Amino acid sequence: MSSRAGTSNPEYVNARVRSRRSSLFEEDDYRKLVRMSPAEIARFMEESPAYEEEINALGSRFSGVDLIEYALNASLAEDFEDILRWAEGELYGHVARYLRKFDAWNVKTVLRGIYSDTEREAVADDLIRAGEFDDRLLDRLLDAGTVEEAVEVLSSTVFGDALADALDDYESEGVLVPLENAVDRAYYDLLRTDDLSGEALSEYREFLEAEIDFRNAINALRLARSGADLDPSEYYIEGGVLFSAGELQQLASNTDELIDRVRESRYGDRLSDALAELEGAESLIAFEHALEAALLEYADSLGLIHPLSVTPVVSYVLAKEREVDNIRAIARGKEAGLDPEEIESELVII
Amino acid sequence: MANDVKPTRKNLMEIEDRIDLSERGHDTLEQKRDGLIMEFMDILDQAQDVRDKLEGDYDTAQDKINKARAMEGDVAVRGAAAALKEHPEITTQSKNIMGVVVPQIESSKVRKDLDERGYGVLGSSARIDEAADAYEELIESIILAAEVETAMKKMLEEIETTKRRVNALEFKLLPDLNENKEYIEQKLEEQEREEIFRLKKIKAKKEEEEKEEEAEAAAEAEAEALEAGVAESDD
Repeated sequence: MSSRAGTSNPEYVNARVRSRRSSLFEEDDYRKLVRMSPAEIARFMEESPAYEEEINALGSRFSGVDLIEYALNASLAEDFEDILRWAEGELYGHVARYLRKFDAWNVKTVLRGIYSDTEREAVADDLIRAGEFDDRLLDRLLDAGTVEEAVEVLSSTVFGDALADALDDYESEGVLVPLENAVDRAYYDLLRTDDLSGEALSEYREFLEAEIDFRNAINALRLARSGADLDPSEYYIEGGVLFSAGELQQLASNTDELIDRVRESRYGDRLSDALAELEGAESLIAFEHALEAALLEYADSLGLIHPLSVTPVVSYVLAKEREVDNIRAIARGKEAGLDPEEIESELVII
Repeated sequence: MANDVKPTRKNLMEIEDRIDLSERGHDTLEQKRDGLIMEFMDILDQAQDVRDKLEGDYDTAQDKINKARAMEGDVAVRGAAAALKEHPEITTQSKNIMGVVVPQIESSKVRKDLDERGYGVLGSSARIDEAADAYEELIESIILAAEVETAMKKMLEEIETTKRRVNALEFKLLPDLNENKEYIEQKLEEQEREEIFRLKKIKAKKEEEEKEEEAEAAAEAEAEALEAGVAESDD
């Protein structure tokens, strides 16, 4: 599914993406949104071309912040589907591999829905149809009555083998953890198989390495903080440059060394403030937030050097995701009664 | 009330026994009430600490879940929650504090390791972990608060009951019994006085009758003697 016929067409896709990028919300828009109520945010979105259609389509079924969140997800899906429709050849492969994270999201959402006996309609609402899975496959997946049936439906997809291997563990342990980890690991493994050699893709390669390094670092810290007797190497994702599985296993038991390792790495400058804060903090949230911001800084610089590569497209994908995350954070924050300053501190605006 | 009681010595003895028993019961209940109040004050302190912690934990949990919902999305948070079917288990036992049976709540499967929460570790975030942590902490606080506050409520009910019993003895039963006792004592004294008076009257009457009989006998004897004197003179 990830190798659509034809030659790569970055010029065409980049031109389309550039026009979409120009309509993304600016810093000023966020500043306005932070001072609006959820109803005003919904109205603001209704007046924005990017969300008007989704708000109107979902307005009869959802209300309040739920309407905003579902409209954001629908707009994200619509945007990324367009990109996949426009892209051809190698470009399609790169973009599709990255967008498989939404396929992974959908697989996990359906498995959780089946596991918790959630109604089909409610599970369908929570899907983000932004990946490679077409509606027919997703409908078949939603029709599955058991986890085993869902794994069977997915057997022909890129997650099929990983899920089949994890099914025994699921059946013996009775929790979804092995299946969810298998799906996420399959996503990262497939991302790693992407051929990113060549100068034009070096920024994108560096970005993916950073994403994997950051995920390994935060997961190691989460395991260390949880106090559980878990082997960090089991949760290690291949493809980063900062740690090997063995090193991560060793560093997870000594978080000070882990922090030092990150500080001395190529990410050290970007993360120096967050690392200093992390040393004395009980919470990992601020550090996680700093990692996300650092990752988005990487993403923001993508495509500046090689404008006719996959990187501007990936940069737009990440910028759109960031916009969706920011608007949702503002709406949910307002719903929860958080101060505008507190909400602003949670936003990632580059 | 007092008028319903028969003023007999037997009843007086019975009432005296009841007064004795009631006074002893009153003292015992007073001691129990004071003991319960002391225990209650200890539990009250504990309950206030537990309630403060519960409120703090609730605020923290709400803050964490609000931030997780804001940054990860409600769908992601609900999804992570749906990945776990196993619920915490609660078993209740009971313990006795000064005769009051209070519950002792034991919980299990509240605290979970990262790999026991259902959602995958690789694709989730620290925000969801910390929201789950905060809610686990909150559940533990709720269980402890349920134990302490139920004990407090039961102690309070027992204190109220004991207080009502003490008051009933002190202000109703004992005064009634004492009133009955006084009534019977008065009646018995009255009866005694009447009896003495009656006996005295009987005695006086008897003495009077004896005197009369004696006088009559003397008169008869005189008359007989007179008759005998007359007969002799006729001869």
